[in-house]
Amino acid sequence: MASPNTAKRAKKQGKEPFDYSLMLIVLGLVVFGLVVLYSTSAYNGQVKFADKAYYLKKQFFATSLGLACMYAVSRIDYHKWERLAVLGYLMSIVLSTAVLFFGDEYNGSKRWLSLGPISFQPSEFAKVAVILLLASVISRRVRKMTSLWQMFLVMLVILPIVGLVGTNNLSTAIIIMGIAVILVFVASPKYFQFIGMGALGVGFLAIFLSVESYRLERLAIWRNPEEYEKGYQTLQGLYAIGSGGLFGVGYGNSMQKLGFVPEAQNDMIFSIVCEEFGLLGAIIVILLFLLLVWRLLIIAMHVTDLFGCMIAVGIMGHIMIQVILNIAVVTNTIPNTGITLPFISYGGTSVLFLLSEMGLALNVSRHVTYS
Amino acid sequence: MNPKCKTYNRKKIIVIFGCCFVALLVLVGRLVKLMVFESEYYQELADDLHERERSIKAARGKIIDASGNVLATNRTVCTISVVHSQIKDPETVIEVLCKELELPEDTVRKRVEKRSSIERVKTNVEKEVGDRIREYQLEGVKIDEDFKRYYPYGSLASKVLGFTGSDNQGIIGLEVVYDSYLQGMNGTILTLTDARGVEIADAGEERVEPVSGNDLYISLDYNIQLYAQQAALKALEQKQATYVSILVMNPQNGEIYACVNVPEFDLNDPFTLNTDMDTTGLSEQEKQDLLNQMWRNQSINDTYEPGSTFKVITAAAALEKGVVSLNDTFSCPGFRIVEDRKIRCHKVGGHGGETFVQGIMNSCNPVFIDIGQRVGVEDFYHYFQQFGLLSKTGVDLPGEAATIMHKVENIGAVELATISFGQSFQITPMQLATTISSIINGGTRVTPHFGVEIRDEEGNLLKTLQYEKREGVVSKETSETMRYLMEQVVAEGGGQKAYIEGYRIGGKTATSQTLPRGTNKYISSFVGFAPADDPRVLAIAIIHNPQGVYYGGTIAAPVVQDIFSNILPYLGIEKEEVVSDEET
Repeated sequence: MASPNTAKRAKKQGKEPFDYSLMLIVLGLVVFGLVVLYSTSAYNGQVKFADKAYYLKKQFFATSLGLACMYAVSRIDYHKWERLAVLGYLMSIVLSTAVLFFGDEYNGSKRWLSLGPISFQPSEFAKVAVILLLASVISRRVRKMTSLWQMFLVMLVILPIVGLVGTNNLSTAIIIMGIAVILVFVASPKYFQFIGMGALGVGFLAIFLSVESYRLERLAIWRNPEEYEKGYQTLQGLYAIGSGGLFGVGYGNSMQKLGFVPEAQNDMIFSIVCEEFGLLGAIIVILLFLLLVWRLLIIAMHVTDLFGCMIAVGIMGHIMIQVILNIAVVTNTIPNTGITLPFISYGGTSVLFLLSEMGLALNVSRHVTYS
Repeated sequence: MNPKCKTYNRKKIIVIFGCCFVALLVLVGRLVKLMVFESEYYQELADDLHERERSIKAARGKIIDASGNVLATNRTVCTISVVHSQIKDPETVIEVLCKELELPEDTVRKRVEKRSSIERVKTNVEKEVGDRIREYQLEGVKIDEDFKRYYPYGSLASKVLGFTGSDNQGIIGLEVVYDSYLQGMNGTILTLTDARGVEIADAGEERVEPVSGNDLYISLDYNIQLYAQQAALKALEQKQATYVSILVMNPQNGEIYACVNVPEFDLNDPFTLNTDMDTTGLSEQEKQDLLNQMWRNQSINDTYEPGSTFKVITAAAALEKGVVSLNDTFSCPGFRIVEDRKIRCHKVGGHGGETFVQGIMNSCNPVFIDIGQRVGVEDFYHYFQQFGLLSKTGVDLPGEAATIMHKVENIGAVELATISFGQSFQITPMQLATTISSIINGGTRVTPHFGVEIRDEEGNLLKTLQYEKREGVVSKETSETMRYLMEQVVAEGGGQKAYIEGYRIGGKTATSQTLPRGTNKYISSFVGFAPADDPRVLAIAIIHNPQGVYYGGTIAAPVVQDIFSNILPYLGIEKEEVVSDEET
C-alpha cells in the first residue's frame, strides 16, 4: 500500500491532476439525456400516469443521486476498492440470485428488486462489480496472463454472474462478457490467441443461434423487419431515424415517440434523438461518446499502476460496448437485443452506476502522471 | 506491490479504441444511409402511419318523381372499424362485434387481431346497431357515420330506379345512367394521430368538404306507377302469370310515367332473391345469375314477339305507302295459303268479307298478310327503318335490347306474311310503345325517357335533359287514320274491354305464343292510348304466360282500362260527353 501513497504525494507537489474534460463530457451527456428523455417520455408518461414529467422526475432523482455518488467516489482513493472487489462481486451474485426469486416482472423479464418505492436492477451493479473484480484479479496475476489457461481461469471467475444475469437479461450478460474479454485482451501481451478465440466465439455463436429456432427467427426479422410482426419495434425505430433527415424535425416534434416506437424512452431513445435532431444531432451525440471513450483511454494510458489502468479500461469497454451495440440495434445493423444507451436511456439504476463508474474514473485520473 | 502498466497494455488499449472508432464510423455510415439516402422512403412510410385520411362520403343526389316525391334518398348508416393499437380487451371486442354485427367469429377475430392502423369490420351497419355498439364504450372500436342509399317505397319501380353498391356507385337502372350527376365528390379529413389513433390536437387537420350529388328529376309519377303496379300485381295473381309488364308514357314527348315489371324486388335489399327459392347448394355464379334475372327490366332488357299489336305498324306502313284505304274489302276464309304454307286466322271459320277497318277491328291475319304483300319486302323494311323500329329507342336505362329482325334478303313471302301480323321477329315492349307513339302522335319519333332535369341540392336548375325527336315518321293523315282505326278497335273491335265510358280510347290487342313454340305458353298484351283524338297517354300491358284464358282482348285490355280509369282523371284528362253513335 506504500507505493500508491508515495505516488499520490509526488503528484501533490504540483497541481493535482483531475480530468475536468471527462467530467464536462459526462455532465453534458447527462443534461442532454434528461432533455431528450423529457421530450421522449412525455407522451408515454401522460398516457400511462397522466403526468408528462413522470419519467423525468424519476430519472432526475436517480441522476441527482448518481452525481452525488460520482462526487463521493471521485474523492475516494480507488485502491480502497481493491479490498472490496471480491465482496462486491459476491454481493452482486447474491443480488442477482435474489432477483430470480423476488424480482419484479416487467415485459416478461424479472430484472428489478423492489424495496418500498425504490426499485433496483442488480445487473447494473454486476457490471461495476465485475470491472472491479477483474481489475483486481488481473493486476494481481498479470505475469501469468500470458498463458491461455490463466486467461480461461479469469473468465471462469465471472461465469457465475454471467449465467445468473443471462437467465433474465441476455444483453447484459453479453456486455459483462465483452468487458471481461476486453480486460483480458489488454492484460495479455498476445494477439494471435485472441484471433483464435474470436474464431471460436463466432463458431460458438453460430451453434448457439441454430440450436433454438427462435434465435434464427430473430435473424430473419433483422434481415426483413417489414415482414414480421416482431420486426415492429425495429421498423418503427427506422421510421423515426429516416424521418429525421439531415437536421431533424426539431426538439419535441417527434411523431414516432407518440406510441409508435414502443417505450421510446428506453432502448430505442436514440431513434428519437435522430428524428428530432437529425443526422447532425446524432453525429454530435456519437462524437460526445467517442470523446468520453477517448478521455477514458487517456486516463488508462497514463495511469501508472495496472489496477487503475484496468478500471479505466473496464469502464471504457463498458461505455463503448453499450453505445456501439445500442446504436447498432436501433439502426438495425445487428439483430434486436435490449441494450440501453448510457446516460440517455431511461433507467435509474443504470444512470446511478454509470455516474459512480465515472466517479471512479475521475478518481483514477487524479493518479495520472503525464510524462 | 501493484504491478505497473506495460507498453503492450497501452498498445492494446489503443487497439481497443481503434476498434471502437471503426465501429462508430460504420454506424455513422449506416446513419448516413438511413437518414440521407433512405430518408424519403422511411419518411413516407412514417407519414402513412401517422396520417389518418378519413373520407367524408358525399351525399348522393336524390331521385325525385314528377310530383315531387322522393324515390331515392340517403340514410345514415355506420361503418364499424377497429384500431389495433387501441384495443385493450380483444376478447370482449370480438364477442360484442360478433353479436351485434351478426358476423362469424373467425371473420371478426381476423380483423381485430390484424396489426394494422385501422381495419374496417363492417360497413352499412344500421344506425341503431352502431349506437348500440357505441354504448359498450369499447376501446379501439370506431363507429363512423355514413350515408347509405335508401328507397322510401321499397320495391316501387325497382327495375327503373336501380340501386347502388357499397361504394356509392350505381349498379343498375337510373342510378347507373345518371351516376355522374348523382354522385357527389367525397371529402377527406387528413389528420395526424398518435399510435392509439388519437388525433393530435394542435397538428391541424386538412379538410376537404364533400360536395353533395345533384338531384335527378324524372317523369315517372309515383301515383301512376303505383296504380300501374297494383293493376299489374292483380293480373299477375289472377292469371298466375310469370310476369307482367306495364309501360305508361306520354306519346307526344316520350316521357315515361310508369314502368312496372312485376314481380319487382326490394331496392333496400337488392341482393336477396324475391322468391322463396332455396339457394343453398348453388354456386356463387348460379346465385348471381338468379339475381341478374331478378334485376332485369323486361320492358327494356327483353324482347318478345309482339303479335297483333304490331298490326298497327303494318297498317301504318300500308297507309303511308297508299296501298290500302279504309274501305278496301278483303275476304277471310280462316286462312291464307302463302307459298306452301297455310297460315291460319285466329278465327277458325274465317271472318268472311270485311273492310280494312273491320279487318283491324277483328285483328284478322289474312287481311294483314294481304296488305303486307301490297307493301312488299323492300318498302316494308324501309318503313321499319323510317319508324325507328330497327334501331334502339335510346331510353335512358342501361341494357336496352335491340330488335331481332330478319335480314331484308332473307324475307320471303312466308316471312313477310308472318311479320305483317307481328310474328317471327322480336322487339322490346319499349320499342313497340315508342313506335306506336310515333304513329299516333302525328308522326314524330320520340325518345322514351325518364330523366327530365338535374337540379342541385337547393333545387336550382342545372340542366334540362334533351332528347332527340324526329319528325315525319308518318304523315299527319296516316297518323290521324291510325288513331281512328285504333279507336274503332276499342269502341267496337277486339279491344272493347279497354273502353271507359266518357273517354275516347284507342288500342290494339295481341295474343302471341312464346318462343320456342309448342309449349302452349302465351303472351297476352294490349296497347292503348287516350284521348284517341289527341293522345296524351299511352299504356302497354304485357302478361307473360297467363294461365287459363290468354286472349289479349280479354285479359290485357282490362288491365289498361283499369289503369286509365284511375290515371286519366289524375292526369287532368276530362271525360267527354257521351255521344252514343253505336245506334247508327
